[in-house]
Amino acid sequence: MKLLKKTIVYYFIFAALLFGAAVPLFYIALRSVVVSNADEKLRSVKTRIMPRLLDAAAGRENGTMDYSDYSIIYRRIPAASGEDSLYSIAVTGTQPGERVPGRAFSSHFVINQVWYSLEINTSMADKMALIKRIVWVLSGLLFVLLAGLLLINNTLSRKIWRPFYLTLERLGGYRVDQPDLLTLPVAPVKEFNDLNQAIAGLTQRDRQAFNAQKEFAENASHEMQSPLAVFQSKLELLMQTRPLNEEQTQLITDLATASKRMSRLNKILILLTRIENNQFLEKETLSVSQMLDKLLEQYAFQVEREAITVTINRAEDLLIYMNKTLLEILLGNLLSNAIRHNHPGGRILVTVSEHNVEIQNTGREMPLEKDKLFRRFQKESGDASSIGLGLEIVQKICRLNHFEIHYAYHDSLHSFRISFP
Amino acid sequence: MKILIIEDEPELSRSITTYLEAENYLCETADSFNTAMEKTEHYRYDCILLDISLPGGNGLQVLGELKKNSKTDGVIIISAKDSIDDRINGLNLGADDYLPKPFHLPELSARIAAVIRRRKFDGSSTFALNEFIFDTRAKIVTVNRQPVDLTRTEYDLLLYLASNKNKVISKNAIAEHISGEEAEIFNNFDFLYAHVKNLKRKLSAAGAQDYIKAIYGMGYKFELP
Repeated sequence: MKLLKKTIVYYFIFAALLFGAAVPLFYIALRSVVVSNADEKLRSVKTRIMPRLLDAAAGRENGTMDYSDYSIIYRRIPAASGEDSLYSIAVTGTQPGERVPGRAFSSHFVINQVWYSLEINTSMADKMALIKRIVWVLSGLLFVLLAGLLLINNTLSRKIWRPFYLTLERLGGYRVDQPDLLTLPVAPVKEFNDLNQAIAGLTQRDRQAFNAQKEFAENASHEMQSPLAVFQSKLELLMQTRPLNEEQTQLITDLATASKRMSRLNKILILLTRIENNQFLEKETLSVSQMLDKLLEQYAFQVEREAITVTINRAEDLLIYMNKTLLEILLGNLLSNAIRHNHPGGRILVTVSEHNVEIQNTGREMPLEKDKLFRRFQKESGDASSIGLGLEIVQKICRLNHFEIHYAYHDSLHSFRISFP
Repeated sequence: MKILIIEDEPELSRSITTYLEAENYLCETADSFNTAMEKTEHYRYDCILLDISLPGGNGLQVLGELKKNSKTDGVIIISAKDSIDDRINGLNLGADDYLPKPFHLPELSARIAAVIRRRKFDGSSTFALNEFIFDTRAKIVTVNRQPVDLTRTEYDLLLYLASNKNKVISKNAIAEHISGEEAEIFNNFDFLYAHVKNLKRKLSAAGAQDYIKAIYGMGYKFELP
C-alpha cells in the first residue's frame, strides 16, 4: 500500500469513528437539554395555574383544563400517593388521532383536605423537529469539514511527497556501470534534501568504488600482458632447443596450452573493460544477415566436424546501427556457444525477423539455470576452451546498446533471443 | 638485415633477439624513449619493432619523428594495448604492421619478413627457397617453376612455415596465424591437421621434397637439410 493511501486510510477511519460517535452524542446531549428545559417549564406551569386550578377543581371529581400549550388533567384521589414525577408520553398531535412525543408532569394538590392527582402534559413535537433539524445541519457541516480535511491532506501530501517520489524514480533508473550521473532535485523539505544528499553521497562513493575496481581490472589485465608475452616467447625459444625428447615436448605443449588460455582470458578481460568503458564508439548500419553468413563461414569447419545441421530462417534482413566489432562478437559468441554446447549430429536454428534474432540449438537435455547464465565464470561444460565469459560479454554488449536478451528452453532447444528496439 | 627492437621489457627484448638472430638478423635494442630516438636518428634499420608505452615517452612519437624525416625503415608496432585507437593511429602514422602482445615469435618473424620484402624489394615480390618460389603479391607458389594449386589457407600455411624455416612452430601459433579467432574459440586442431595433410599431399604431387615435419605433438617445422 502506498504511503499516501495508508495515511488517508487512517484519517478516514478516524473521521468515520468521529462522525459515528459525535452525531448521536450530540443528539443525546441536545435532547436532554431540551427535555430538562421542558420539565422546568412543566413545574413552573403547575405553580402558575394553581390558583385557577383550585377554583376549577373545587368540589369536582375530575376534569381537564388547558393552559397555553399545556393540557391539565386532575382527579380526586383517596390520599396523597407517590412523589412528583416527570416522564415522556405520547400525546395527541395537531391532527386528530395522531400521536406525537410529549412530556408529562405528574403531581398532586389538596383542596380542603381533598387530594387530587394532577398531570400536566405538553407536546414535544416542535422541539423534537428542531433538534432533528439541528442535528442534520450539524452532521452536514461535520461531513463537509471532514471531507475537506481529507481532500486537503491528500493533495497536500501528494505535493509534499513529490520530491520523494522523484528521488525514488531517479534512483530506480540509476546504474553504477552507466556513465549518467544521478541528479536529484533540490526539495523544499529539509528531510527530503537530507535524503537526497545522503543518496547522492552514497552513489558517489559507490561509483568511486566501482571505478576503482574497474581500473584495477583494467590495469591488472594490461600489466599481465608483459609477463605473458615473456612467458610465451621463452616457451617458443625452448621449443627450438636441441635435443628435445618426447617427454619434454609434451611438457612444453602443455605449458603452451596453459599460456594460450591465460592470454585468451586476458584478452577477454580487456575486451570486457573496453566494452564497459564504452570504447567502441564508431557505429554504422550493419546487416545482421550478412554478419551471420560471415560467421557461419568462419565456423564452417567446426560445424561440419560435428555434423551439425544449420538452418537459417530470414523472412527479411535486419539492419542495425551499432559498432561492427561488437556485433561480430555478440553474434559470434552466441553462434560459437551453439556449436560448442551442441552434440554431434545436432541442430542449430537461426531466425532473423524484423526486431529479433534467435539462435536455437540442441544440446544438453535440460534447461540452463537462468539466473546463473550471464554471470562471470559460470561454465556449463568442462570444455577447456570455454572460459565462462562469453555470455557476460553478450549481456554487456546488449546492455550498452539497449538490446534485450532472453533465454528459453523448449522442445529440446536452447534458445537465445535478442530483441532490438 | 638490421632490426631495432624498441621494447622496455628486457626479457621480451632478449627473446626476440635470440629468435631473430637465429634467422641471421642483426638485432639492436632500445629500452627507453630517449635511446630509441637516438638510435633511429643515427642509424638505418630494415625493420623497427616499436612498443608504444615506453619509459620517457610514447612510441608513436618515435614513429612520427621517423616519418617526418622521411626515413624508410619498416615499422611494426608491438603493443600491450590492443586498442583500436592505437592500431589506427599507428597505421595512419605510417607503421607497416601492428602486432598486439602477447604474440608468437614465428608470427613476428613472418611479419618482419613480409615488411622487409615489401620495403626492400619493391617491384619484385618473389622470394625463393630451394625448389619453391613464392610470389607474395599474387599469393602463388611454384615448385620447380610449376605453379601449385593451393587454397588461400594452404598458401598462408606454407609461407608461414617457410618464413620460419628450421624452427619449430607450435600448433597454437600456426592455428592463430591461419584462422585467427576460430582457433581461439574452438580448442581443437583438427582443422590444422586437415590443412597440413592436404598441403603435404599437394606438394609431394607437385614434386617437392617433404620438408614439413611434425615434431611430436608440439608443432611443425619446415626443415631444410
